[in-house]
Amino acid sequence: MTAFILAVVIGALFALGTFLVMRRDLVRVVWGLSIVSQAANVYLLAVGGVERGTFESVPVLAGHGEAAPETADPVVQALVLTAIVIGFGMTAFALVLSYRVYQEHGTLDVTKLGDRQ
Amino acid sequence: MLVVLVAAVATLSLRGRPRARTAVSLAGGLGYVLAVAAIDWYVVLAPDAPGIATYQVGAHPAPFGITLVADGLSAFMLSMAAVVALASLVFSARFLPRYDRRTFYFPLFHFLLLGITGAFLTGDLFNLFVWFEVMLMASYVFVAFYGGARHTRAAFWYVALNLVASAIFLLGVGGLYATTGTLNMADLSMRLTDPAGYGIDPGPVVGLVGLLLSVFAIKAGLVPFQFWIPGAYSAAPPPIAAMLAGATKKVGIYAIVRLSFTVLAGADVPVDLGIVAGDSPLAFVGPLLFVLGAASVLVGGVGAVGRDSIEGVLAYSSIGQVGFIVIPVAVAATASSPDLRRIAVLAALVYALNHALAKGLLFLSVGAVRDAAGTSRFEDLGGFAGRAPALSIAFFVGALALVGIPPLSGFFGKFLVFDAVVRAGSAPTLAVLLGGSLLTIAYTTRAWNGCFWGPAPDVVENATVDPVEVAVLVALAALVVGVGVGFDPVYRFADVAATAALDAEGYVEAVAPGGEIA
Repeated sequence: MTAFILAVVIGALFALGTFLVMRRDLVRVVWGLSIVSQAANVYLLAVGGVERGTFESVPVLAGHGEAAPETADPVVQALVLTAIVIGFGMTAFALVLSYRVYQEHGTLDVTKLGDRQ
Repeated sequence: MLVVLVAAVATLSLRGRPRARTAVSLAGGLGYVLAVAAIDWYVVLAPDAPGIATYQVGAHPAPFGITLVADGLSAFMLSMAAVVALASLVFSARFLPRYDRRTFYFPLFHFLLLGITGAFLTGDLFNLFVWFEVMLMASYVFVAFYGGARHTRAAFWYVALNLVASAIFLLGVGGLYATTGTLNMADLSMRLTDPAGYGIDPGPVVGLVGLLLSVFAIKAGLVPFQFWIPGAYSAAPPPIAAMLAGATKKVGIYAIVRLSFTVLAGADVPVDLGIVAGDSPLAFVGPLLFVLGAASVLVGGVGAVGRDSIEGVLAYSSIGQVGFIVIPVAVAATASSPDLRRIAVLAALVYALNHALAKGLLFLSVGAVRDAAGTSRFEDLGGFAGRAPALSIAFFVGALALVGIPPLSGFFGKFLVFDAVVRAGSAPTLAVLLGGSLLTIAYTTRAWNGCFWGPAPDVVENATVDPVEVAVLVALAALVVGVGVGFDPVYRFADVAATAALDAEGYVEAVAPGGEIA
């Protein structure tokens, strides 16, 4: 059940992100990008197993033998941490850049940007 | 040995803080070249070279620790990047002081280099992602470097595209981890060779590989992912454009080659998509790369002919030239015999080297022209040949190398590519390549005529060309000629690299994944 809900959530996030990326407003595009990357993060977490992992399903735990406590896969969590940091930096940069675009062009409308040279 | 390398990488990231950054930066560039040369010597060229060296960061064993791997392929790519990097660093040292407030330029340049180095050396997919991001973050800033309206717009599209690409990359990596339970490329290769033995259902791998390939194709600028290139390349400062075309783009190529041949070649995964079928993901990768490569050659060539500035021509030509690199890779992916596969990868590598040198040279010439005349549009230029013969000759050599005239480096690149395609017996591909070569002649001629020939307008008449910049150009041009004339050692190096790229078993053995956790 949890897995199903997660799948739906990830799908919805991707859909929302894609929708926003297609918008004409640059700030919305940035929001869309950030949502897409968050969706990828949630997806990564879901990959790690919604159910409690054991040493059989989680490779890292194999080295500790069967006595390992039940847990989700720590590798993906490490991956997600890295990805979140990177995504955070990127979003900040993209927002600053879109402000700069606004300063330079006086508009945030994608179609108007395209026409100018 | 790899301690040397890690030290080089570490200092690379720390450098640039001091105010005397130009000198430090140049020393760093030189140090980088020396470190790469040391790696080359240790890994490949020394008489008793092991051919491959690994370093487990923090002494955690593979596949859970982070592995750095230097084999022939990495060494070859690194040397290429090092040459281009040194040339554009020296060039920037002269180029830059004309623009004040640019304190961040050199540190970022080194971060770009750091990202490229890391991507070439990393042994696992997630770290490849991280290094990509390091490299990209630096390049974003460079695309926005001049801060004009056109540049911020180009940078925004570049950032947006790459953010989407990063998300897709994460999806591919996460999916591969979920399917195979590992991220280490050697481990991945081992597990995919024997999926049943590891209890893996390899079905989704093909689709996930498709995702990863599309990401790498974006980095390499293959059609249909080429649209960001012209804007980004002409917005970035010329030395950086040289780096983007000469080194960053090669990271995409490297990733495609590495993924295809080291990771997937031995994979025992049945593919059946209706049109293509086979027992390895390569059956899917090969035809895909054929189509992308052929489209790139044509789109890039046709696009380049119609541009009105030198950067425009060169940026579009980059798209076309990447096609020339990818087509032999596709030949290798579909090749049945190991011999043909090796020759094809070899051709791709030699052509990549030629492209890195020649395109680096050309973009730097554009920098010199822009510095001197203040513009790079054809209608405002002309007659440079009379004003600056050395610069003109350097540009001419670069253009000829792109066309593939002997005895320049381009001749062997083109020759090997055609050789591989002829051996594969693919007539349509051959036609595309010939067409692409003709287009190359057309647009290089046009660039040459537009900028260096004909009557000189006032801007050119009054232009003074910076002697150091020209010296860098002449040195690069000499290198292009040198690689062509003394092709034998280069060929042997590329041969080692191609063999290493295809030697998945050796790679797995050297990385030795699956060891006990300490």
